[in-house]
Parts: sequence; C-alpha cells; structure tokens
Amino acid sequence: MAAPLSDRVRRIVADVLDVSVASISPDSSPETVDTWDSVHHLNLVLALEQEFGLQFEPEEIDQMKDMQRILAILGSKVPQG
Amino acid sequence: MAIAIQPHTEERIPAVKAFNQRLAAGGIAPEFHFPESNIPCWLPKRDGRRIYQEYYLAVDGENVRGAFILKFQEFSVGGETRTIVYYHLPISEGIVNQAYASVGVFMLRSATKMQPVLFALGMGGFDRPLPTMLKAMGWSLSAVPFYFRVHHPAAFLRQIAGLRQSAGRRALAGIASVTGTGWLGIKALHWLRTKRSVPGVEASAVASFGSWADELWRQCSPLYPLIADRRGDTLNVLYPPGKNFASLRITRGSETLGWAVVLDTQMRHNKYFGNLRVGTLADCLASPENAPAVLQAATRVLEERGVDLIIANHSHAAWGDAFQSAGYLQGPSNFIFAASKPLAEKLTPFETTRNLVYFMRGDGDGPVNL
Repeated sequence: MAAPLSDRVRRIVADVLDVSVASISPDSSPETVDTWDSVHHLNLVLALEQEFGLQFEPEEIDQMKDMQRILAILGSKVPQG
Repeated sequence: MAIAIQPHTEERIPAVKAFNQRLAAGGIAPEFHFPESNIPCWLPKRDGRRIYQEYYLAVDGENVRGAFILKFQEFSVGGETRTIVYYHLPISEGIVNQAYASVGVFMLRSATKMQPVLFALGMGGFDRPLPTMLKAMGWSLSAVPFYFRVHHPAAFLRQIAGLRQSAGRRALAGIASVTGTGWLGIKALHWLRTKRSVPGVEASAVASFGSWADELWRQCSPLYPLIADRRGDTLNVLYPPGKNFASLRITRGSETLGWAVVLDTQMRHNKYFGNLRVGTLADCLASPENAPAVLQAATRVLEERGVDLIIANHSHAAWGDAFQSAGYLQGPSNFIFAASKPLAEKLTPFETTRNLVYFMRGDGDGPVNL
C-alpha cells in the first residue's frame, strides 16, 4: 500500500532541502527553512513532478509558498485511492 | 496575492524602482538591477524591426517581485528563418528574501510557456544560479570557447601581478594559467601558433553595412545550423556608427570575405582586466573557409591600434581552428550557451551540433561591459 500523500511529500521536501523529515511541518516554508532558496525550490518542483508524473503550471509554482499549499495543489492533481 | 507576469509599463516604473531599492538593500550590485524605464534603451521595439527587446515583470499586487527581458531575433535554423528568443537578466526578489524563492522558477516556466524556443547566453559560468536552474529544467548547456592573444606581455604581466590578490582576477588569472605568465613564453606560444597570413586581404572601416553584407549573409547562413540574423539592416541596428566599436569590411581584391566588429577599450581599474587596453572581436561573419583570413585581418587592425590583449568568444569549431591559426590561445570560458528543450531538439544531436552553432559576444547582451 502506498504511503499517504503527505508522507511522500514530506520525505521529498526533506530530501531536497537536506533537512530531517521530522523538521518538516505544514507551516514549513522558504521563510522557516534556511536551505529553501530559489535553486532548492526549483529542485523541489522538479522532484515533485518526477515523483508524481505531472507538470505544474507557472501559476501553481507561484502558489507553492509553504508545505500546506504544496499539499493542497498536489491533492488536487494526484488521484488518491 | 498571486503573482502574474505582465509587460513593463510606464505605470510600473515606481514599482520597479522600489524593487531595485529592495535589491540594493539586500546587497545586490547595480549591474543586476532591472532597467527602470519601460522602454529599452537598447533594441526597443520599433515598426519593421526584426530585432527588439521586451521587458516583463512578475507583479504581486502593486509590487514587482521579479523581472526578465526577452530579446526577439530572427535566426537561420538549418537554413530556415525563424524567431528565437533570448531570455536574459532574470532577477527575482528571492535572491534577497527567501519568501520569494518560487519567483525565479515561476518566471522561467512562464517565459518558456510564452516562448518555448528560448536560449540564454553568458551567465558567468556553469556554477551560477541561472545555469544551474536551466540545467535542472532539462536545458542543454555548452561553454562558448574563449580565445585570447596577448600583444604586450609586459603590460599583461604587470596587470596580472596587480590583480592577483583581487576578487575579480579570474579572467586574467585564467589566461595566465594557460600562458604560464612568462614574457618569453607568451611570445613563443603566439609565434608558434600563428600560421602564415593569407596574402592580399584588407580590412577597411565602414560606417554601415550595405548590400554586400546581405550577399555575404545569403552565402554564409546555410553553412551554419544555428546563426542569428546578420543581414545589413539588423547589423546597422546592432552596430550603429558613432559608438565605441569599429565595423570592418574584409576583402580580397573585389571579393568580400567577411566583416568584423571590434572594440578597443582602455580599461580603468576593471575587475577583470585591470588597466589593460583590451581589444575585443565582438562579432564577425565569413564562411568557415574564409574565417582565418577575416580573423587575421581584424587582429591586425587591433594590433596596429596598440591593444595589450585581444579577446573573443566563438562557438563554432572551424572558427576555433581559425583563432588558433591566427595565434590565439584558448582559455577557460564562463560564457555559456543554454538551449531550451524545444530549441535543443532542433539541434539534435546537441553534443555534436553545439560545436557548429554560431554564437559570439555580440549575440547576447551585445558588446556591453567591454
């Protein structure tokens, strides 16, 4: 059985930003995670696209300002069984 | 508030000024600030022009959070003419405020959506943020080789010594690492490399590019798989008379072999070149066959003007050979050509074609900073 969406995303975010999974919360954002800069944000976008086999629209990338909104966008694009 | 990409307009000038002020407060040097005027001072869009720039802003309500420039220019691609767009000077507030970390990606994705066949040029090296982002997004990257020829080794060596401790020494230090920095070594290397000059070739300064340039373009453009439009009217926009460069028509008898645009700049405390007098071969055109003659003629003009050093970038392999036969050495290059996926697909296989595309310093931001 696949892990819940939020667990998969937290793992990817932690991996890309080189922080522990435990440190990633719904409020995590570029303002709260030191390593979350422009280049890491791109890497995060690309990692999520690869993991879920999709491509974000520019407007969706703009909305990905914290974990909560990333999960909301993914929730609307990824079928969850 | 969602960010949206909008063209720069007169009403947005105060917001761009405020954006630049926030960049300045974050320690960003003025050369990386965005132009405040909505009308480009270089290559504005005018009726009938095939080459022009447009400014775009990432607008967040009343605020500007990022900006970039698109330069529209016709290219010959495999012998067919089509517009290809140069993506440059992307600046995001994310570089001074991580709250806007997404703006850089947003702008790049938006630009790619607006104009899929994009390229970027220059950028300062593979390790800089923009090339890093482009590579991550699947763009194809290649360094445009850098060539140089030292004419006054003593002056060159003095500047090397002066710049050795400075942060901006990379260009000269890179050249020095190739030459070994010795006076005799530099002279010997250039002498050994220089092949016999092509006889009967003359360079004459011209005020503008006429029908002879159109004829040369017609002959040469099919010889290169990707080359920016170099017809006379475009060249007269890019290199108008009265600026700090010289346009040279290179002939042998009544035959036009090519042309070159050269700069002769006395640097003053320049972070890369100290106080050297630097000659730049900013742009040129000829068939690969006539490249050695054109390079030798342009080099001779700069040499006679008394420059200490001549520099150039050129992506084409045959031109690389011509530079070496004209006594130039190849140094480390931080001038990067990056092709978006749709552009790279037109250049398949990129690993081979990247050595056949035609890019020089004049193709990107033009002969600036030189």
